Amino acid sequence: MKLAAFVSDYRLNVDTLDRLNPEKLCIILVQNGVYHATTKEKGSPSSLLQKTADFYVLIDDLQTRGLGNADVADNVKVISYSDIVDLIFNEYDKTAWL
Amino acid sequence: MGKLTIGCFASLVGSMSLDFAVKLAGTAMEKGHKVDLWVSGNGTMLSIKGQRAFKDYSFLEGPLKELMAKGLNVTACEACAEARGYHKENTMEGFKRHSMDWYLASTFDADRVLHIGGE
Amino acid sequence: MATTKLGFIVQRPGYKSENPKLAITHAIASQSVEVYLNEGDVVTADIAFIGDGVLNCKKDQKAMDLYKLTSTETHIKMSLLLDLNVLVCKEDLDRFGLTENDIVIDAEEFGAEVTVKVVPFTDITKMMEEVNHLLFF
Repeated sequence: MKLAAFVSDYRLNVDTLDRLNPEKLCIILVQNGVYHATTKEKGSPSSLLQKTADFYVLIDDLQTRGLGNADVADNVKVISYSDIVDLIFNEYDKTAWL
Repeated sequence: MGKLTIGCFASLVGSMSLDFAVKLAGTAMEKGHKVDLWVSGNGTMLSIKGQRAFKDYSFLEGPLKELMAKGLNVTACEACAEARGYHKENTMEGFKRHSMDWYLASTFDADRVLHIGGE
Repeated sequence: MATTKLGFIVQRPGYKSENPKLAITHAIASQSVEVYLNEGDVVTADIAFIGDGVLNCKKDQKAMDLYKLTSTETHIKMSLLLDLNVLVCKEDLDRFGLTENDIVIDAEEFGAEVTVKVVPFTDITKMMEEVNHLLFF
């Protein structure tokens, strides 16, 4: 399974993502999920970014929150809505909104 | 080009999940994909006509009408809408209402399904 | 003739959220989807309760008595009556100290022939792999 998982919250109340082990995984950070890409707590980045996955963050939701490319962790790629469409159609076969 | 079915169960005002869904639908359509949008639960609030465009609240009637004119197929769960007092006469023109099996039928030939849960 | 398989994954408890109920009622709608499709085409729905979602499966729910609301328990029984494949994660039940005796397992009173299957998460992962689309609630 090639799974594109959308994370829309900063505090996740489900652990599903930790239990899935797809052949290929990307995590698309949207809405308040963008804080995973930008926020350090006590100096540490979000543990979500430690997962084996490709990480993306939606530019619209970054900028909405006063954030931008310069705030984003090195292993997260900033993308647009158009990029999301291409990702889910061309590189992944299933999606999950968590 | 493919078909994307989006289900969104979140309300019109609040989480901005419907804003995301509508914007994603529009972008997919611009890229030549066919898009079905299903709203259920609190998401049926999207179907109500006469939304006022206050800048403090999500306003999607305008963008939605533009997308419907371009071919967006959008349907609300009839039972979910009725349970909330959203009746047919208050429904936006072109916004369909069906039972839940419509959503499943839409997934039948969808290349991708993005299901966005509600509150 | 073609089949599209859907996996409904319920990860959260019910009542405070409409999500679990809507997962089940939408899955049940797979039984009437043929009216929109060509003859022979079908959509199937498997339901899996994982994480805190297994709490939806507790039996003896009194939502109807107390709030005049169909219980999630009844919805699960309806899905069994309609022969849906209902999976419950064993590791999550264990985590909450729940056993098969504590949860909805059958709907014999409605004449259902299938039962809830308590399975390891690996079986649920396998189901997720096999379906065409996933819907997380």
